[in-house]
Amino acid sequence: MQRAIERRGIPTVSVTVALDVTEHAKPPRAIFVPFMMGHHFGVPFHRELQRRIILEAFDHLVRAEQSGEIKRLPVTWARARKEGKAIEQAMSSRA
Amino acid sequence: MTDSSENSTAQLRPGLWQTVNERYPGSMIHKEDFVPLARLRKPLSESRLSFVSTAGVQPKGSLPFDTVHPVGDYTFRHVPSASRLSDLEIHQLKYPTAGALRDLNVIFPIQRLQELAREGVVGELTANFFSFIGYNMDAERLEATLAEDIAGAVAVEGADVVLLAPA
Repeated sequence: MQRAIERRGIPTVSVTVALDVTEHAKPPRAIFVPFMMGHHFGVPFHRELQRRIILEAFDHLVRAEQSGEIKRLPVTWARARKEGKAIEQAMSSRA
Repeated sequence: MTDSSENSTAQLRPGLWQTVNERYPGSMIHKEDFVPLARLRKPLSESRLSFVSTAGVQPKGSLPFDTVHPVGDYTFRHVPSASRLSDLEIHQLKYPTAGALRDLNVIFPIQRLQELAREGVVGELTANFFSFIGYNMDAERLEATLAEDIAGAVAVEGADVVLLAPA
């Protein structure tokens, strides 16, 4: 999919949680986050993390020099969940 | 909570490619070569961004993806980039939706992309984003049909750059 788009001259970047699948499929550019499947952009209501992952992908889109480069983000699922819980607690105490 | 993988930067579910490929031989994509990089023609702040998702997100009222077909559903849906979260729903069975059902942005970050376009980080969004389901057992068929169909649709929208989230 990503390769088909890139072949049409349109630069692409993907966000993956499955590093091994991405290494096999060899898309032109990808960033890897060690998150649960279905949670590529983090946890509910954590806007800052969701935004950061998109911006990291954009940065890789602009900077990557070799096809197949996979950038690993220094984030953890445990921390994302912890921050997400704190955000939801703050939301419920405001409600 | 003491599981060391919880604090790891490694893949949470290791060996995914091999596990699925053993169960469904030929269903997983493997490439030996790399495609040449396309170059950005203008700064991101002047570029039109599209988004492609395998998350089975679709506008309410559009034909639901066939999540139980034995070889998968090779169709895709247009998702207007101006959609509100309440306009959209998910039809898929293959990834955990615990987060997405509470905040769709965790897998389909449409509100964050709308914000980044308003702020001028990207020039604009394509009128439509694109969505399909990742459950497709015939990798060759996927590549010959759906991949080309979506690549064509993205080009028709005049996308300068594309973000993808293979769920």
